[in-house]
Amino acid sequence: MAPTDDSPSSSDQGINVSRRTFLKTAGVGSLATAVSTVAVSEAAAQSGPAVVGPGEVPVTLTVNGRRIELKIEPRVTLLNALRNYADLTGNKRVCDRGACGACTMIVDGRTVYSCSTLAIEVQGKAIRTVDGLASGEALHPVQQAFVDSDGLMCGFCTPGFVMAMVALLERTPNPTVEQAKKGLDGNICRCGTFVRILEAAMKAKVARA
Amino acid sequence: MPPQGGAQGRGGVPAPPPAARIPDKYKWPSNPTLLSTRVKRLDAPDKVTGRAKYTFDIKRPGMLYGRIIRSPLAHARIVSVDLSEAERAPGFKAGLVWKQPGTEVLFQGDEVAAIAADTEERANDIARLVRVRYEALPHFATVEQAMAPDAPKVFPMGNTRPGSAEEAGDLAAGFKEAAHIVEQTYSTHVITHVCLEAHGTVCEWDGDKLTAWVSTQGVHASAQQFAEGLKIPQTNVRVITQYMGGGFGSKTNIGAEGLICARLAKQANAPVKLMLDRKEEHLAVGNRPSAAAHIRAGVSADGRLTAFDATSWGTGGAGATSNFPLPYIYNFPNRRRVHTDVYINSGLQRPMRAPGHPQGCFLTEILMDELADRVRMDPVAFRIKNLPEKAPNAMWADYFAIGAKAFGWDRRHSTGVAQPGPIKTGMGCAAHRWGGGGRGSRAHVDIMPDGSVVVKCGTQDIGTGTRTIVTIGAAETLGLPVSAVKAEIGDTIYPFSGASGGSTTAAGVMPAVRATAAKALEALFAKVGPAIGADPSTLVAANGRIFVQGAPSKGLSWKDACKRLGTEPISVDGEWVDGLSGNGTSGVQFTEVDVDIETGIVRVKRVLTVQDCGLIVDRLTAESQVYGGIIGSLNFALFEDRILDRNTAQMVNPNMEWYLIAGMSDIPKIDIILVDGPEQRARGVIGIGEPPTVSTSAAIANAVRNATGVTIRSLPLHPHRILQAIEQEKAGGTL
Repeated sequence: MAPTDDSPSSSDQGINVSRRTFLKTAGVGSLATAVSTVAVSEAAAQSGPAVVGPGEVPVTLTVNGRRIELKIEPRVTLLNALRNYADLTGNKRVCDRGACGACTMIVDGRTVYSCSTLAIEVQGKAIRTVDGLASGEALHPVQQAFVDSDGLMCGFCTPGFVMAMVALLERTPNPTVEQAKKGLDGNICRCGTFVRILEAAMKAKVARA
Repeated sequence: MPPQGGAQGRGGVPAPPPAARIPDKYKWPSNPTLLSTRVKRLDAPDKVTGRAKYTFDIKRPGMLYGRIIRSPLAHARIVSVDLSEAERAPGFKAGLVWKQPGTEVLFQGDEVAAIAADTEERANDIARLVRVRYEALPHFATVEQAMAPDAPKVFPMGNTRPGSAEEAGDLAAGFKEAAHIVEQTYSTHVITHVCLEAHGTVCEWDGDKLTAWVSTQGVHASAQQFAEGLKIPQTNVRVITQYMGGGFGSKTNIGAEGLICARLAKQANAPVKLMLDRKEEHLAVGNRPSAAAHIRAGVSADGRLTAFDATSWGTGGAGATSNFPLPYIYNFPNRRRVHTDVYINSGLQRPMRAPGHPQGCFLTEILMDELADRVRMDPVAFRIKNLPEKAPNAMWADYFAIGAKAFGWDRRHSTGVAQPGPIKTGMGCAAHRWGGGGRGSRAHVDIMPDGSVVVKCGTQDIGTGTRTIVTIGAAETLGLPVSAVKAEIGDTIYPFSGASGGSTTAAGVMPAVRATAAKALEALFAKVGPAIGADPSTLVAANGRIFVQGAPSKGLSWKDACKRLGTEPISVDGEWVDGLSGNGTSGVQFTEVDVDIETGIVRVKRVLTVQDCGLIVDRLTAESQVYGGIIGSLNFALFEDRILDRNTAQMVNPNMEWYLIAGMSDIPKIDIILVDGPEQRARGVIGIGEPPTVSTSAAIANAVRNATGVTIRSLPLHPHRILQAIEQEKAGGTL
């Protein structure tokens, strides 16, 4: 049943604007007018977003606890910034469209497909990549589990899977097999290492406990 | 020449003289320390830390980025190629025309030109500034279009080409003898290799010497191809592949992308990295050809195959073959098969893991279940009844019995039996074979006075664990742990070895490593014997010691023994020898599936395989190969599909979101029975990379048939096809 023109629209969106109010304030004007009923900072409304690029600009990334100063075009992805400009090649480019997970990194505690993240947008965030997981020769428990279970073959999907598993176990330290599968469903392997990657997950969760 | 496993064809080069045999002392040990055990993959730490450098990761000082400009059209004449705008762009460093105006492009993705620029971003921009004008020409998107009687002549050699034709026995008599005849059409589809690491190279010139990092399955083969393509001495070429991210058969040739990269680097006088993107990977660097056959087959009342008559065809793209073995494995005493290659305007096929066998297996195995049902025989019993004579490389009768028992095959209901609810369960089986075998590798072993050991071999590790098995071969021979031996591979500065294809690497490399390490050991014995007052011929190496056989205390530790070398290391070359490897593997697979007949979704619950491979070198990596092969075949059956628009012949899904590959939740329980024991060990080392990927898809399709009572004779088993087949069955039957 459609709401009447006077009744507020669904309040579970957190926006309390009735159709009538919206039409009155929007008119045929811009979006800026229509949202004037919602609090918006004066400064932002007047100056608009800052323009950066298209040429190279300074971008500072915090990767594995280190600051990396780069000069790159704003359109450079986080993946390419680290691979091409910072020689952190542990992370691989495979599909470049957020469909395979090979480029998985952890940014502020969440997994991201770094091929589909702009480097310039993750300045100031804590970026973790496979390159920073081991401590010298000592492997991270997840990495060790991959080695022990032989959860790899050509190895090209491995860094992405390792990061996905690290994030999974940090969030869900004692996953069931189903939870582990779901947590790793964002990564694809062509060699067919899934069986042993899952074994590695079950091994690593015990090792971390 | 139909694609076969086993030894590489040598085309016009006379056969080599027979190889030396391994001395009895150095046959594979009956009680090995390392062989057939589970040895962890030695380069796993480098891979899990990201330290491993693949071609895609290589960065050279002053390196530029290359990009290929490719045809968007399926068939066209190139009218003009204009690089002038590209040349004026900031960051442009080199450019070339690959196909001259007046020549034709034959598929979407065919190479036309290339540029190199100082950053990857600018290379992408500048590639778009290359102006190519095309005159569109007629094209084919499907084999039906190419085979139509009124089809235009798109290919100069003809749209079709006769392939192999075989005949045996008396076909008419065979059909007369048959109590039941099945006549149907079966087919499989085109898939691409989807190597996660793209094809590509980094090329760097030093005067007229070329160093190329290549994502390749064959470093020495690549060096030869660069030399031939660039018309430079092969001694001037060095190819390096320490790590590569998957080939599956598509990386045995450097391709246009390799030569283009080298030319750009020469022109720019700077190193160039040219790696393909995912779309190019789908379009232009290989695929598994399609296969189809119209088959008429007969079976006697008591379940013997009597006749097989097939007309087959398939497409390998714009001018390549599509052949495959048919019939596959089973004994049809009277048979005829005529094959035709059909050309369409798509990328050319390249060998894909067990070339021809997944196709031949599928086309034969669905038929086998149909014939078994005609005579009301259990599918396993029917297969066993019609196998060729048992032999060490033809053990299916035993493997079917072992596998059926382990799988619980006796719980299988017959096809067509009603089951309650929308989820139907079924079981299926299939058999496969493969050649493997291999020869011709060479190796070098150094034993240093401080006891350190290195074995060098110009082979490559394509993800199979070659680096590990080379180490195992030397360590087993020298009586050392794997940690005491270093393997150096993946570089043409190391002795010649063939490309890794056909599952030939283990059998090609292990004998060379064993023979060379043995030669080195004998040289060490010659020095140690006098030092401890023992006849060198009585010495053996085991558990890190050199000692007189039968008198272990009369000897030295490895380190002390090597000190006797003084300042002169032992440094020996060796090569492949006979007596340590074999040829020919056989295996069977069983699957259990659930089919939801309301959604059409197939879920594979269990797979079991019985597989042999001669002497197992590293049980851990061998098992991984089996898991991988099975999952690859599951993908072939259920998910991946190279879809061409039937009007434009352009690929609809050249990516990884619509080109479907299994994820973790799609993987069934997989049980591997890797056949071991004195008989298999006596056969020597045989490869295992390809056999496990041959028969899973056929076993899945047979399980789907058993589950639903509906026969689907083509792949992939996508939900809408399951539903269509169920509707057809209701309307008039497919069984």
